[in-house]
Amino acid sequence: MNRRQFIRLFSQGLLGAGLMPALIEAAEPDDKRRLQFVFAQIKYRGGDWNPHPLSVTPLMEELMARTSVEAASARREVTLGDGDLFNYPFLYLAGRYEFDPFSQEEIETLRRFLTYGGFLLIDDALGQQGYGFDKAVRREMQRIFPGNDFKRLPSGHAALRSYYLLRRIGGVRIASPNLEGINVGPSTPVIYCQNDLGGAWERDQVGKWTNACTPGGEAQRKDAFHLGINIILYAMTENYKDDLIHVPFIRKRLTR
Amino acid sequence: MNDFYLIGALPWWLVALVGIGATALLVQQFINLRQRLALGQTVFLTFLRACVYAGLVFFLLGPALIDKRVTKLRRPLTLLIDTSQSMGFPASAKTAPGDKTAKSRLDLVRDKLEAGQAPLIQKLNRDYDLRVIRFGTSLEPVAPGSLARLRPQDPGTRLLELLQRATRDPAARSGVIVFSDGITNGEMQSLDGAGALAAPVFTVGVGDTEGFTDVRIAKFGAPEFAFRGREFKIDLTVQAFGMKGRSVPLFFNRGKNLITTRTIAIDADPFEQKVTLSFTPKELGTHAFSVSIPAQPNEQITQNNRKEFKVDVRRDKIRVLTLSGSPAWNYRFLRMAMKQDPLIELVSFVFLRTPTDTVDVPENQLSLIPFPIDDIFLEELKNFDVIVLDDFSHRAYFNPVYLERVRDYVRDGGGLAMLGGSRAFDSGGYGDSALREVLPVELDGKGNYQARGNVHAALTAAGKAHPITRLLPDPKSNEETWSKLPELTGLNQVRGVRGETLLTAAGDGTQSNAPLLAVGRFGKGRTLALMTDDAWRWNFIAVGKKETPQNHLKLIRQAVRWLAQEPAFEQVQLYPIPTPQPAEKVTIKLKVLNDDYTPTRQASIQLRVFSPEGEPTLVSTGPDGEEGEYSGDFTPTKEGTYRVEAEASAGGKTLGKDKTSFTAAFSYGETDDGLPRPDLLKKIAEASKGEYLSINDWNEKSFEKIAARLEAIAPSEIVEQRQTRLWSNLWPFGVILALLSVEWWMRRKWGLI
Repeated sequence: MNRRQFIRLFSQGLLGAGLMPALIEAAEPDDKRRLQFVFAQIKYRGGDWNPHPLSVTPLMEELMARTSVEAASARREVTLGDGDLFNYPFLYLAGRYEFDPFSQEEIETLRRFLTYGGFLLIDDALGQQGYGFDKAVRREMQRIFPGNDFKRLPSGHAALRSYYLLRRIGGVRIASPNLEGINVGPSTPVIYCQNDLGGAWERDQVGKWTNACTPGGEAQRKDAFHLGINIILYAMTENYKDDLIHVPFIRKRLTR
Repeated sequence: MNDFYLIGALPWWLVALVGIGATALLVQQFINLRQRLALGQTVFLTFLRACVYAGLVFFLLGPALIDKRVTKLRRPLTLLIDTSQSMGFPASAKTAPGDKTAKSRLDLVRDKLEAGQAPLIQKLNRDYDLRVIRFGTSLEPVAPGSLARLRPQDPGTRLLELLQRATRDPAARSGVIVFSDGITNGEMQSLDGAGALAAPVFTVGVGDTEGFTDVRIAKFGAPEFAFRGREFKIDLTVQAFGMKGRSVPLFFNRGKNLITTRTIAIDADPFEQKVTLSFTPKELGTHAFSVSIPAQPNEQITQNNRKEFKVDVRRDKIRVLTLSGSPAWNYRFLRMAMKQDPLIELVSFVFLRTPTDTVDVPENQLSLIPFPIDDIFLEELKNFDVIVLDDFSHRAYFNPVYLERVRDYVRDGGGLAMLGGSRAFDSGGYGDSALREVLPVELDGKGNYQARGNVHAALTAAGKAHPITRLLPDPKSNEETWSKLPELTGLNQVRGVRGETLLTAAGDGTQSNAPLLAVGRFGKGRTLALMTDDAWRWNFIAVGKKETPQNHLKLIRQAVRWLAQEPAFEQVQLYPIPTPQPAEKVTIKLKVLNDDYTPTRQASIQLRVFSPEGEPTLVSTGPDGEEGEYSGDFTPTKEGTYRVEAEASAGGKTLGKDKTSFTAAFSYGETDDGLPRPDLLKKIAEASKGEYLSINDWNEKSFEKIAARLEAIAPSEIVEQRQTRLWSNLWPFGVILALLSVEWWMRRKWGLI
């Protein structure tokens, strides 16, 4: 039973006892609620596409517990050649090692995907700039968006404010205190983290954390979850938090 | 009586030369005859010849008798009396404000002409061929006895233009007398370059300039329309006379609400200061504004202390409010479509957290902002053109009473779209809400959201023609495009449709021809129901199939425009009407489109114009210009705002309505400026060789002086004369012939022949 199911059962119990207002009942999803979000992870050739096989479910549980997003708890594994790739506008690309170059058709597909509204989160489990996975990622991104390099995301980027007001970037290790991204027009459809986010999200079968987060420990892990949630909400709401109506509230909270 | 005149045509010197020649001949004749005759005979014959020569010289001088007859005529006299509205201002600068017994400038003119036991106007009417003409914007002859009925009524003074016209009249050639305050506001503001006046003009100035006290709003400029949310400016000039050292407040109001106040310090006489005021309108529609200065102590004219104007506040963008129940791809792509549209200004709220979601950080580490329920539903709702409820249920967030505001907002002309999902329609609890009354679908509280099945969208007959679902202009291509759009995977069930169904859904697990997209009109507003939360697939899945995302983007943009009643999407469109002057014909044009937005060829149009008092006039219309365009002529009779309403139908079906308004107004601004202009009157008198005098100096004596001038210019007598030429008959020749015959006979008798 996940947290959300527990809350639902608990609420129904309270309702039965007449202790909770109908308001809460109304807010509960019915059984036919659709899953709005599916975490799709790219399988690629060469390297290691799956460094943390159990990382997604903890993140999805956290996402559903903290936000109104209805998400599938398990990830969806896709290849860039899958016919239903565009059913999943959020893609996750992770790895430790250098992988084989994408085919030209895959490059075209990914360019189309990212240009017209899709989103890609890249997570480097190795955390070595210029080596292994990082080297392959930068190479492939140059093929997809020639001349459009990764740029450091500014501290005020909407992805860092889409739910939590983030001041730090979490992960298993702090290989980089900043996120990088590729901008296309007013949005950033590619965000790249080198801190091994998946490693921080991952639990084993009995619920223990697979990897220790250093040097920040559990606070650093919490930051990794917060970042994961923020990036997912950013993908689903784009620059929503840059809308004028949010700016004075966010500015006020950040200056406290 | 006959008088004798010499009217010979030959010059005197020639006549004198002839006389000298004749004398010389006589002397020679006398000498010759004296040698042959006695002295008596010589003198006799020389005398006869001298008589002949004298007669000839005399006749060379043209002797004539002239009979003169003198006839006295009644002199023509033209009085021009200014009856413009400024002549209603107080004649004296010492008049207390609000003193209703004070004499107006026109009253003073009347007094001068009609006062006393022997009114001057009667004397003039008796002694002269009197014509009295009142003038303002035109020349209107009036009976001399009807001066009492003159009113300061004309909305403008075309003084110089009308003087030019009046002096060209042959009856006024000897001169005209003008009573005026000298204020002119026609096209001609000075005599420069206007050409000379055709007759002398005697100007009589009315109104005091000494001690004249007035503050006024002059040179006023305001825009006819402004954009909502954008500042507009008005420029005006405050002028003051006789008020040096005072400060006056300037109020800028919208309706009765004060927008701002300025204090104007008057430090000169005359005084003039430019002022710029600004305002940012937040509400659409026509709003009345005013700028005013309160009446000041001893101020003669208070009518010019206030300017009222209307500004039509339009939207430069369609303001859309979206409420999304949670982050979702449908929101993501809806937002993308609206953000890419320069005509749409999007304000969106996405409910990132439900009341059951917990957070693991203090609230101040979240970017969530409180949903401003009261601000949105009580204050700002009217400022949005379209509200989109995107898979959103009100139940967790606010009292259903707020939905009554949304219902009323629709009835008042707003646009509402409900997009499907597990929080929409019956699943969102709208079946028993106020919105049920304005949604284009019927809700019964039992409709479910189905997340299964592959749903195909199919155009209905109405959908094929409707501007929302018209993705391509060609009907066949449009239908083909819809048939190729990606399948959907979720559908809200509704009991039925109350408006028009544009798209139906068919596929696995769905009822046949279930409504997918429906639209309706409720009150003045429009609503749309899209029974799916999957419309984003028409965009992104199409991209994955290497097709265009534009169909989805276009659908969203067209839906927003239709809901916002964007003029280009209206089937009946009245064109803007220029501002005519009263009695000036104005052509009212409109465009009529069929349901499929093609021009309507044979529309039946009811065009009505409502006068400022609200009286309707039916205006007949006919085809005009391009296909689908119609026009009708209307002539406003008076100043004021006229409302225009047009309704068109074709084949018995109403196509739509539109309304607008226009203002008929003279452009003179007669009451804006009450300061008499004796300088101009003096210039007119000087330029036309007339004379200026103040009305205070006007009396019978001064008139006699003017009469003497008129007499000098053109005498009022006619002299007839008859000439009798003394040489042009037989008698003079008979006498000369007789004298010569006697001389011949005597010469013969005395043996000279």
